[in-house]
Amino acid sequence: VNRIDYIVLFATILAIPLYGLWRTYNHPNLREYLKGDKTIRWGTIGLSVLATQAGPITFLSMPGQAYESGIGFIQNYFGQPLALIVVCAVFVPIYQRLRVFTAYEYLGQRFDKKTRLLGGFLFLIQRGIAGGITIYAPAIILSALLGWDLNLTIWLAGGFVIIYTVVGGTKIVSLTQRYQILVILIGMALAFGIAVYRLPPDLTFGNALEIAGKMGKLQAVDFSIDPSKRYTFWSGILGGFFLSLSYFGADQSQVQRYLAGGSLRASRIGLLFNAIVKVPMQFLILLLGAMIFLFYQFEKPPLFFNQPAYQRAAESASEPKLQALQTQFDEVFAQKRELLQSTESNPAWSAQVQQLDARARAIRDDTKKVLVEGGANPKSKDSDYVFITFVLQHLPHGVVGLLVAVIFCATMSATSAVLNALGSTTAVDFYRPFRPDRSDHHYVVATRWLTLGWGIVTIAVASFCNLVENLIEAGNILASVFYGSILGLFLVAFFLRRVAGSAVFFGAVLAQTMVLVLFFTTNIGYLWYNLIGCTAVLVFAWILQSTIFRPDGKAAAASS
Amino acid sequence: MSHHDHPPFFSSWRRAYVFALVLFAVEVALLYVFTLRFS
Repeated sequence: VNRIDYIVLFATILAIPLYGLWRTYNHPNLREYLKGDKTIRWGTIGLSVLATQAGPITFLSMPGQAYESGIGFIQNYFGQPLALIVVCAVFVPIYQRLRVFTAYEYLGQRFDKKTRLLGGFLFLIQRGIAGGITIYAPAIILSALLGWDLNLTIWLAGGFVIIYTVVGGTKIVSLTQRYQILVILIGMALAFGIAVYRLPPDLTFGNALEIAGKMGKLQAVDFSIDPSKRYTFWSGILGGFFLSLSYFGADQSQVQRYLAGGSLRASRIGLLFNAIVKVPMQFLILLLGAMIFLFYQFEKPPLFFNQPAYQRAAESASEPKLQALQTQFDEVFAQKRELLQSTESNPAWSAQVQQLDARARAIRDDTKKVLVEGGANPKSKDSDYVFITFVLQHLPHGVVGLLVAVIFCATMSATSAVLNALGSTTAVDFYRPFRPDRSDHHYVVATRWLTLGWGIVTIAVASFCNLVENLIEAGNILASVFYGSILGLFLVAFFLRRVAGSAVFFGAVLAQTMVLVLFFTTNIGYLWYNLIGCTAVLVFAWILQSTIFRPDGKAAAASS
Repeated sequence: MSHHDHPPFFSSWRRAYVFALVLFAVEVALLYVFTLRFS
């Protein structure tokens, strides 16, 4: 990273929020602060929804995921277009008709105050922690590779977001996200183009795909019903549908994006735009990972991508073990490259290459064990470092700055949406009901203070959290544990008309407890918690309404 | 609901949903063809 990169980086990450502040600075009333104004149209909503979901983890981890396990992860997004159509048809018209500020306000109107608070509370816990991970995940990787101080990186990514989100509210979040996602898409397209360009000159793009396919990296769709397989069409459609339905229908950080502007038509078209572009976009990001994988079949990759952790271990007593592993890795790499450069007349070619690739992976796994033994615990999955290592080592100056800016833009756009939603939910669902009849200005000021408070909380979470193994999965697991119950509350509200507040409240508490017990005691795939939690709320609420909370008291008589 | 909520292009939202669904089905079909071609 040189001076040009720093100029590109800071110009990009500062220009967008400054422009946003200039465009949106005024004295908004509560409605404008929480929902923006009529200038927010479907295009801004569409890009804003896309930017909120596509956090830094998407761009850092996903190419690494494809590098490691192929592009099958795409199937996790298959439920999303279906869920978005349901959100357009069922959720959006209700929110827009009732003119609610938050999704949980609707629960209060349909049920009662305690159910509204429960929905808001589950959201605040989940998003408060997830917001911290969103800032911490890129900070730990960038600080390690660029030699920056971790806390400084966290504050650089988080501090500026807090300021502009507090000042501008929903309107600035939507506006800045529009430009941030454009920078992200341009940066990723450049990275893709350069990755393909840097492949050996005699290798056409078609040949490159052939080789990646034969090495097992391009299996996008798998109709297998084998439950031990992690990513299949069926788990993606079913589990992904419930995860997406909860996320887009009941997570205020998304609800606030598509309710911005207040037009039903704009909300719907913005969401349908996402239904159409999401799968192709994720496919191209994963394909970028497959191209980087191919690039590293001809250009020797580091034995371990997290070089700072590797260096720490190399300076300790683990050095001889690492040397031995490096020698083995070099041998395997040379054999593999020779095979790849040879003609493919040998029928066993594909099996031989895959065998050598498996051997290289085993050596990398052994390296990780040596690193852990040597006290240089890498903290996050090595595949999370693949993309950024490729960027830092093989892209030209200027583009490196742009790609680091992409990671910051993704962090800022996702975090601003989260802070905006956390502040709004706390103000509208927790503060205003207990301090009614204050002026509009009072609530705007309160929302700003609460947004600032949540900003400090997320930075505190980021500063103190110790990251779990996989960045993408950490966020998805956390969401899946809580989303099922939140979605259940909304589905009961929409479809079980005779169920009232107390039944759904206690049903959701029971369901959430059950999911937490299952999470800590079993090994169920995390996507299924959405389905389990949601179904449990529907069943428990219906049973409780038919028995304990039966309005005419017949239940009590029957049980006696 | 305002006039803007019923533009002529999407006189029926159902048509828009079907359109999005068909596009999604095409995307999955293309991905499946891609999988068959390159594996």
